[in-house]
Amino acid sequence: MNTRRVNGQLFEKMLRNGLANLKQHREEINALNVFPVADGDTGTNMCLTLEKGLRFAQSSQELYPYLKMLSEGMLFGARGNSGVILSQLFSGFYQELSRCAAANVADLRNAFIRAYRVAYRAVVCPVEGTILTVAREGIERTRSQIDRRTTVEALLSIYIAEMKKSLAATPDLLPVLKESGVIDSGGAGYIYIVEGMLKQLYGEELTDAIPVPAAEPVESADGSVSLELFNENTVFEHGYCMEFLLQLMKDPQYTQRFRLDTFIEDLQLYGNSIVATQADRRVKVHIHTFKPAKVIKAAQEYGEFLTFKLENMHIQHAEREQKLLEKKPHRLLSVVAVTNGEGMIKTFEELGCDVVLDGGPTMNTASEEFVTAFKAIDADAIVVLPNNKNVVRAAEQAVALANLANVTVLPTASMAEGYCALTMDMRDSEDIPLRIRQMREGAQSIRSVSVATATRNITRDGISCVAGQSIVLENDTLRAADDDPFEALAAALHAIEGLDERECCVVFLGEDAPNADEDRLTALLEDVNPMIEVTCIRGDQHIYRWLLGIF
Amino acid sequence: MNNFTIMADTTCDLGENYQQEYGIKVIPGHFVGPDETEYISRPAWDVGFTRESFYAALKKNPTGFKTSPPSVGELFDAFSKEAEQGNDILAISISGGMSGTQNFMREAREMTLNKYPERKIVCIDSLRFGPGFGLMVVYAAMHRAAGESIDQVAAWLEENKNRFHQAGWLDDLSFVARQGRLTHAKAFFGTLAGVKPIGEFDYNGMTTVLGKAKGAKKAYEILLGYIEKTIENPEEQIIFIAHTDRLKQAELYKEMIEQKFHPKAVCINGVHPACGVNVGPGLMAAYYVGKPISKDLSEERAIIESLSKAD
Repeated sequence: MNTRRVNGQLFEKMLRNGLANLKQHREEINALNVFPVADGDTGTNMCLTLEKGLRFAQSSQELYPYLKMLSEGMLFGARGNSGVILSQLFSGFYQELSRCAAANVADLRNAFIRAYRVAYRAVVCPVEGTILTVAREGIERTRSQIDRRTTVEALLSIYIAEMKKSLAATPDLLPVLKESGVIDSGGAGYIYIVEGMLKQLYGEELTDAIPVPAAEPVESADGSVSLELFNENTVFEHGYCMEFLLQLMKDPQYTQRFRLDTFIEDLQLYGNSIVATQADRRVKVHIHTFKPAKVIKAAQEYGEFLTFKLENMHIQHAEREQKLLEKKPHRLLSVVAVTNGEGMIKTFEELGCDVVLDGGPTMNTASEEFVTAFKAIDADAIVVLPNNKNVVRAAEQAVALANLANVTVLPTASMAEGYCALTMDMRDSEDIPLRIRQMREGAQSIRSVSVATATRNITRDGISCVAGQSIVLENDTLRAADDDPFEALAAALHAIEGLDERECCVVFLGEDAPNADEDRLTALLEDVNPMIEVTCIRGDQHIYRWLLGIF
Repeated sequence: MNNFTIMADTTCDLGENYQQEYGIKVIPGHFVGPDETEYISRPAWDVGFTRESFYAALKKNPTGFKTSPPSVGELFDAFSKEAEQGNDILAISISGGMSGTQNFMREAREMTLNKYPERKIVCIDSLRFGPGFGLMVVYAAMHRAAGESIDQVAAWLEENKNRFHQAGWLDDLSFVARQGRLTHAKAFFGTLAGVKPIGEFDYNGMTTVLGKAKGAKKAYEILLGYIEKTIENPEEQIIFIAHTDRLKQAELYKEMIEQKFHPKAVCINGVHPACGVNVGPGLMAAYYVGKPISKDLSEERAIIESLSKAD
């Protein structure tokens, strides 16, 4: 309760509790979406980013090595804008404490200050009313409230209280928040993390405090191990993935007082990515370790194994890498794009995209996925089409992490923009700047219109909609809402200025859109502009029934 | 002496009216439909297809149709018929880079000359295909009509074949790519909704994409600008416009070219299966004589790029 210093182990515990707290509020944060569309994923992205860092970092008594690994892991694992900014906050936090074995209150305060400064710098055009404002105002306002007697608990309490005030004011700074009746989601998520950290100090340990390692499944679980990928000359870099179910035994030869938390602490000496849960007298454990014998010995102190699985992760990584490397011949210019939906992926591949990353329904590709893609590519230049505003920063961060000078991130905000960029690429030209210019112009020349189902009631941009209605967005503006998607689109198209001067429209049919939509859509578009040339392509994208690119 | 016969293979795509007006003999080739039916390939809709039905079938089954040139035997027969009547022959073929016709012609020439050693047969590789090739054959006929000898016409063709331009779009590149009639054919192409790739012949007669325009309006603007910068003496020219399944756009293009360049004539020609199978339904282009095409197309690319930027 009177914590004066935080070392690596304590910080790790605190942060794990922070993650647990964030996870408990994940859906609530996801729902803090400016648009009433089911693609809000700030909560998920922040969880995944933090989780990646926690999984990456090896436990350490001293603070700075732990923070170093943590921030590295987060930078690579950053997903979405909120994840990127969160990773930058922790990067700044580490930079301040890069020689600090255990931080006192003043150190921590300085680190929180450095954190927001680094995050501001990382954002090209910082916008107030976001997580940046919350992190900045929160710590700056603690200045007059702390002194030498202040404990870490007190510092964090004040910090949280000030951040909450700042968060409540975000709608006043950012009109889109006010109009949508929400507060900033990233700021809210960050507060939950710090709150969870504080709760740890007060002894309130939250469940789900340990990251679930589902993101790193062992692919060769069926026993089909590629033996040629591992031999006596291999540098063993990735350790083992171990999973077991332990039966705690009553026989006096076993230690009888089993406590899950101390058991986890013991395991942390031997590995990371630990998940351990207890149900009655059985304990399920997952751990990544280089020392399986030590883990087995520690477990056998208490009982015997009901099931046991041990896999060499090096082979799994090597297989993945080999697969990627094999596939990519040398190119003058390679394109990496993020999409979702079977048809969309196929379309992008057909247009010559070398790596198509499946962004999933909410398009939350991590920086690390881009870095892996860059490694797999053999090209003089690389163009990245993030195809979502929320992926642009993760892509840019990946470029910085990979330290590559030949990568251009074209900030395409929709898959339609990405598609138009690719259609304008001059694949048979050897002039790289020309090709990039062509793609940039292609992306810039279109207007993106998307149709989805509203997830909540909202009034913005002068349009009211209720949950369940079809809504139409033109870039970031709500244009129409109606029970019938065709009616909604027709109304929206009439509201878009200059549509009669446009010549072409490409429509991507989403996973829920039947092919029969094509004829009605064509008729509807031709009704607005008889000269328009309509092309429908099966995109099978999630969430958006139709994505239109009009130019 | 200019009573020689001008012969060209069917890919010159000159219909009956041109054959009669200019005294040109077209040597038929072959094509096979998706159901393995073999057809004689002539520049006419005479084997049960109309333009509409042919391109509809092609769109439905892009890989179902195959073309093949006249055989050496067929060429020998065609040459022999002329030689027998005492005519020398100027035989012009599709680009040797795209088809074996030129080689077959040379073999047929040897065979024919063995039989009729007193005759003269000159084989010319047009380095073009389709309407660009056809326009060249028409020019050969016009030179013959002006009194030039077979050698003079042949020399003119050799000297000037690199001046036959194509300015148009191919909005479905997959056909030319598939048939290897596109530079960098390895590049693969999906649907390019609304985008018009601007195509020109390269030095070797292959079609190359010089640039891309978003939408027809911009494409026309770029094409007219490109013709203006590359054409020579437009008012003395017959300009061909060829289209596969883009008649409306071709008519509009004709009107624009007439207004801007006042040529002697602008003729819209259909594209028959010999070329249609290989270019697909998305061709709409003008063919004319202009400045020599640069070896690496750098000059032409620069023109298109500057026109693309202009708004």
